[in-house]
Amino acid sequence: MTNEKAYEEFKRRIRRKKIIHWFQNLLLLFFIIVFTFPIYWIFIGAFKQKGEFFHYPPIFFVNHFDFENFQRSFELGGAKGVRDSLIVASLNALFVLILALFAGYGIGRFKYGGPNLSFFVLSLLFAPPIIAVMPLFVIFKNLHLIDTYIALIVSYLLINLPFATWLIKGFVEDLPEEIESAALVDGYTRFRAFWKVTFPLILPGVVVATLFVFVFAWNEFLFALIFTRSSVRTLPVVLTELIGGHGIQWGELSALSLVATIPSILLVIFFQRYLVRGLTFGAIKG
Amino acid sequence: MKKRYLIILIVLGLLLLTTIEAQKKLFPDVTITAFCDAGHNALPFEWYAPEFEKVGIKIKLITAPFANVYEKLKTEFVAGTGAYDVIVFFPLYLGEFAGMGYLKPLDEYAKKYNPRMDDVAKAFAKLYCYYGGKLYTLPYDGDVLSLYYRKDLFNNPEEKAKFKALYKRELRPPVTWDELIDVAKFFTRKKGEKLAGKVLTEDFYGYAFIAQRGSFAYAWWLAEFASRGGRYFDENMKPMINSPAGVTALQRIVDVMPYCPPDVLSYGYEELKDALILGRIAMCLQWPCNWKKGNDPAQSKIVGNVGITHVPGIIKDGKLVFRAPMPCGRVLAVSASSRNPEAAYYVAKVLSYDKSLADVSTPKTGLDPFRISHFNNPKAFAEFAPESEAKEYLSALRKNLTYGYPDLNLPGSAEYIDVLEIYLGKAYTKEMTPKAALDAAAAEWEKITERLGRANQIKIYKDLLQSWKEAGILE
Amino acid sequence: MKEESLNVIVGKKRFARWMTLPPVLILVALVVGPLGFLLYSSFFDWTLTIPAPPKFVWFKNYVEVFKDIRFWNAFKNTVLLMILGIITQSILGLILALLLNREFKLKKVAITILALPIMITPVVIGFNWRIIYHEHFGPLNYIIRLLRLGSGASWIADPKLALISIFIVDTWQWTPFVTLILLAGLQSIPRQVYEASNVDGASSWQIFRRVTLPLLRPMFVLVVLFRTIWIFKIFDPVFILTGGGPGTATETLSLYTYINGFKLWRIGYTSTLAVFQLIIMNIVATIFVRKFMRRGSK
Repeated sequence: MTNEKAYEEFKRRIRRKKIIHWFQNLLLLFFIIVFTFPIYWIFIGAFKQKGEFFHYPPIFFVNHFDFENFQRSFELGGAKGVRDSLIVASLNALFVLILALFAGYGIGRFKYGGPNLSFFVLSLLFAPPIIAVMPLFVIFKNLHLIDTYIALIVSYLLINLPFATWLIKGFVEDLPEEIESAALVDGYTRFRAFWKVTFPLILPGVVVATLFVFVFAWNEFLFALIFTRSSVRTLPVVLTELIGGHGIQWGELSALSLVATIPSILLVIFFQRYLVRGLTFGAIKG
Repeated sequence: MKKRYLIILIVLGLLLLTTIEAQKKLFPDVTITAFCDAGHNALPFEWYAPEFEKVGIKIKLITAPFANVYEKLKTEFVAGTGAYDVIVFFPLYLGEFAGMGYLKPLDEYAKKYNPRMDDVAKAFAKLYCYYGGKLYTLPYDGDVLSLYYRKDLFNNPEEKAKFKALYKRELRPPVTWDELIDVAKFFTRKKGEKLAGKVLTEDFYGYAFIAQRGSFAYAWWLAEFASRGGRYFDENMKPMINSPAGVTALQRIVDVMPYCPPDVLSYGYEELKDALILGRIAMCLQWPCNWKKGNDPAQSKIVGNVGITHVPGIIKDGKLVFRAPMPCGRVLAVSASSRNPEAAYYVAKVLSYDKSLADVSTPKTGLDPFRISHFNNPKAFAEFAPESEAKEYLSALRKNLTYGYPDLNLPGSAEYIDVLEIYLGKAYTKEMTPKAALDAAAAEWEKITERLGRANQIKIYKDLLQSWKEAGILE
Repeated sequence: MKEESLNVIVGKKRFARWMTLPPVLILVALVVGPLGFLLYSSFFDWTLTIPAPPKFVWFKNYVEVFKDIRFWNAFKNTVLLMILGIITQSILGLILALLLNREFKLKKVAITILALPIMITPVVIGFNWRIIYHEHFGPLNYIIRLLRLGSGASWIADPKLALISIFIVDTWQWTPFVTLILLAGLQSIPRQVYEASNVDGASSWQIFRRVTLPLLRPMFVLVVLFRTIWIFKIFDPVFILTGGGPGTATETLSLYTYINGFKLWRIGYTSTLAVFQLIIMNIVATIFVRKFMRRGSK
């Protein structure tokens, strides 16, 4: 008799678990819809014709997929935008990667500069970029660097280097020193120990840091708005140029926005497995 | 014998051809960077690029969002890199840009390539092109507000009868501001009610206006303020915006809001234009480009029914007094740090004179007439509307321009106007009463004047008042 | 720790210096110039809309900031966004992370999709939400009306709502970030912990409160850290969506600084505002280090 009761109890528990599981899936689906809807909206916007934007009721589905908007947006500066953004973001990511790797390792492993340097980097992390715009503007103006790639790459260094350094420092700190000591005992030089032993182990963190730095530089707007004119035009600036007061070109804007999002999406897809681990690599060992 | 003549003829012909070719290339292959606000008003630069190439000028076009034109230009002027050669901007900034030496005086170029300033509407030329006695800009877009109304609704016998029964007078586009409220109220109907014989499928409203800060929203308040004799400042730079005239004008807008679409406070240029030409409102004050777009079947649902007349005013001493604000507008100028000023001027002149008629009469741009030759040419505007309508349109514009009221043109004008629009907004949302809002704005204006140097501002404003009087705008 | 000979220590120090000094020097060089400019110019009355030269005014700018209603309004807006944002995003992010922490099909796909909002250019997000928030033609109001939840709202034009609209956009973009970090934390909790608690007869809720949350504490610290920094400096979406309006309802500190700098060209005052923000954020940074980062030199 008790066996039957236990069995009933068991079945009931399983059913309950299944219901909860389905409810959780539904909730998750709801969230996914909510978080994807705006992206979907840009997507269909890229294929809408002019009249379809100011239509009531709003148009939720498009049945024509021509690339007119994309073409037009490229003519209107999109091509240059993609090129310049690529140049600036890649170069910036490269420089930051190298510099942050060295600095992060030095501070993380050897406590170089003590708590003061560490706090200096941290406080730079906390500083809002807007405070640097006017001073840098005046400085660049006097150095005749307005509207150059250098201006952007250098300013982005200011924003991204502290962030990347701090991230990498964290990863390095959580790596036990013994691993490197073992390599040293085996006769490795310090640099080789770093390169052959430490670096591969902190790779997820480095990948994530570089990814974020690239995306930050690719998406950066404020500095680009003020420091560039016509020789250098990154995507965020080109996008705003499509926002005329007497007529916003929504179709071209949506199309170019999609194009602007592609690199970031690709990066996310390729480095997805690093994202979750790398973001918290250093912080996990509470 | 004949052969020799033939040879001479051929040689002469070839000589002629080469001189023509040489003449065509006026400039030694320069690149001129043009700056304009983004959107349809930058199109002419694209359209005529091939023609400019024939005379040796390659056009490179940079645009910026409408609301950021000031920062973009000012940033470039301060940096002084010569990145822009010919620029399009709003005359609102003329006082500051010319006063700070950012623009190149154009008088000597005007002697070489005549821009026919005598052909430009006197008010516009005097107010928006000259500063300190020198020519700094050429007109590009002649903005002035007019009253637009749905002809079909106002001419509908049913509506006319209804109105007469209710208000004991004829239905007509409001001639005074008091009339405006009545007419707006009359035409505000809910979905399902009848309008001009048809049943409405969505709510309909009597009036709408621009409320968005940074979109020249203050002009909708200025219309009544100016018609009541209001001025921005008195001779000692004391703000007069909070005078009884100002408060009445602001109260009027607050009073008409129940008869405007519920989202009216988010209205910028696009929204107001759509409200009229997509058939949601009965009338509004708007720029001249609204007429072009209202008659363009590709954009509008009210083709053929776009009525246009002078802005409402007040009755003073038995006479009707009205003032049409001239907000925005566009002028072409040459940057003082341009490396090719003459070529830049050439581009400006072609756009301001040679091509201007084509540009202002097409619905593809938002550019509006500003030359007497434009006003006298209704045929050019008949591309999409009957000539009689074009005549009505042009005469309304001319009338409004004759009684136009200019934008404030002092150093810091962008700041004064921004503050004013912030406080107008607070009155619209009922956060403050009209009087409190305008008093606060006036107090801010005083602070700005102090900061910019009162003595200097007084001097510049006095000159401004003088030129306004000469242009016949002020008594 | 093993004892190290003098040579080893010197070698170590030299290596550390060789590795770290160049990047640090570059960073310091980049900081010194602008910082010096900020501090210096904050003592001047210097406006570029009139041809007058800069005037030395001691601490007048600093006093003016204290009396500036618009500054305090911007400060209030920014702090409101921070508090609302951090709390909401933490809770939402946690819920999402818990949902994602189960085993189910397409888990990787779900995570990838959810990571997208983080990567999109803020400028794009700004104008995209402008369409979505459009009172008449926007899908949001349309859906609200469809579901009979109301008649739609004036998201961008209503001063009482505008800041909430910015908050919604910020939450939409960054909750996935919180989720990813918390998810990593959840995934690093070994199963034995749960099994042990189960054996002890604890209920799910108790496990969650007494075991999971405390173990997630370092993740939450990270989350609060980044969200604090990033909301404090928020600029792009506000600039594109509302421009600080209606009126000054959504004027944040960054935007107000930008307006003073590049619309009003009050260089001296802008620098003073910058110094203020630096001081505020330095205080916040110090609090953070003291209270939360007790592990070594992190």
